[in-house]
Amino acid sequence: MTLRNLKPWLFLSPALLVYLTVIFVPAVYTSYLSLFRWNGVTPDKQFVGLRNFIDLFMVDNVFVKALKNNLLWMVGSLVFIMGFGLLLAMLLNRKMKGRTAFRGIFYFPYVLSGIVVASGWAWMYNPTQGFINKLLETIGLESWTHAWLAEPKTALYAVFVAALWQGVGQPMVLFLAGLQTIPQEPYEAAIIDGAKRRQTFRYITLPLLRETFLIVVATTMIGSMKVYDIIYGMTGGGPAESTQVLASWMYYQTFRFANIGTGSAISLTLVLITLVVIIPYVYYTTKKSHV
Amino acid sequence: MEEMRLHPALNAARYTFLILLAALFVIPIVFVAFTALKTRADLASHPFYYFPEKIQWGNFLKAWQQGKMSLYMKNTAFICLVKVPLGILIEALAAFALTRLKFKWSNGMFAFFLVGMMVPMQATLVPLNIFLHKTNLVNTYPGLFFIYVGFGIPFGILILRGFFRTIPKELDEAALIDGCGDFGKFFRIIVPLALPAIATLVIFDFMATWNEFLLAQIFITDDKMKLITTGLMSFRGERATDYPLLNAGVLISIVPTLVVYLLFQKYFVSGLAGSVKG
Repeated sequence: MTLRNLKPWLFLSPALLVYLTVIFVPAVYTSYLSLFRWNGVTPDKQFVGLRNFIDLFMVDNVFVKALKNNLLWMVGSLVFIMGFGLLLAMLLNRKMKGRTAFRGIFYFPYVLSGIVVASGWAWMYNPTQGFINKLLETIGLESWTHAWLAEPKTALYAVFVAALWQGVGQPMVLFLAGLQTIPQEPYEAAIIDGAKRRQTFRYITLPLLRETFLIVVATTMIGSMKVYDIIYGMTGGGPAESTQVLASWMYYQTFRFANIGTGSAISLTLVLITLVVIIPYVYYTTKKSHV
Repeated sequence: MEEMRLHPALNAARYTFLILLAALFVIPIVFVAFTALKTRADLASHPFYYFPEKIQWGNFLKAWQQGKMSLYMKNTAFICLVKVPLGILIEALAAFALTRLKFKWSNGMFAFFLVGMMVPMQATLVPLNIFLHKTNLVNTYPGLFFIYVGFGIPFGILILRGFFRTIPKELDEAALIDGCGDFGKFFRIIVPLALPAIATLVIFDFMATWNEFLLAQIFITDDKMKLITTGLMSFRGERATDYPLLNAGVLISIVPTLVVYLLFQKYFVSGLAGSVKG
């Protein structure tokens, strides 16, 4: 190898070294650890094969609950966060007074940290002094009040509302960017042909937003699998594990209960589900960019 | 979409809906702010929608000093100041190699870096924990920098590589004639021309670092070294019922975010974060 051949690697080496040490090698090692029973302290790990995975699905009720919660979260995000984002983008797409202000307000929660949102909303849901219950009492709906975050039936939905508040701005700006690229001619032609507004939406806007939909759906699904901060910050997975998701349950299994193998198996499950979402997406986008 | 004029009634309905929704969106922030400005007695005795009896700016001072918000802010600012430039320098060097230095594996290496975007942080935590313990870097900022830089690399390379590709190759040749080596080309031509992309990356990276929770939670457990997110969590644990103080702390912690957001709003609402899909 000549010096000239080495030069690219010289420029690449800092990034490559850090990347290998922080992401690649640890991810591979986690896959290895998922095949063992280990408490993280003793020198000897007990090889158990796929036992950890089997136990997760057959024995660990909380894991199954967490997986269900992730899927519920995903469906909720696709329907409500993406739906509201699209609605807001449609409403804000034409030139109008106050457009920048509206956009700024709806997007702002997205730049806050999950912990800040969790803290603010935990206070909103406070059973005795929080906004929600106080409001219900004031308007005479005392019977509707709940200890929102302390009741297993309401907790997950309560956290989701906070996540909706935080997250709706992201699909909104993506859809707005997508709408800007749609030319006007198809609409003009459609109107001449006597199309109704709903029809132009269904047959022009939606198909031309296909690209944007792909991005939003992929990022929403991946985000739903990884959700952690806001749940940990609001309920810590409780009450009675009713709001556990894979990421939080992995944290508890690994760092609270010292079940390293089980924790690794959970995170690997997370990777596998994410891959199922990403591979078709990457395949589609790379195939297209080579045309 | 000027082509379809809206019926005035429809336009009014649209405005009403947007204003109502915007009001709904602002409620949590106003409620937090009202709480932060009240005394505990005021909070308990008056309806929640009452303006504070006497505005308690002192709550902010108390959260800043006793609640150690000043410490957490300083720690996080330090982390951001080191991590963001360091990470971007490393990513830019790599992106330079991928776009400007001819070698066989440049596309393969790019794909290899992108794989990192699919790996959730959870899948690396245990090995990283072992690694930090072995190198005595647990509960140190160098250890955290290293990990933060690592997780920034895939996204940073994706953005910078995309931008570097748009810089015309003729400029490289001009630099060659002027006697610039590769480092000269990198620092004198590519980096100055890529400043818009670098600025965008700085802003997003700052926000991501400021808001990061999971890694900070696991790798920095010493209370004096906690960051703003983990600090806020322990503040909540310590002062569980002092709601005015707690909410003052929440508000303090979002000031830098708010300032950056207001200054650079166009970067955020342009949809860039998603348009860089590769």
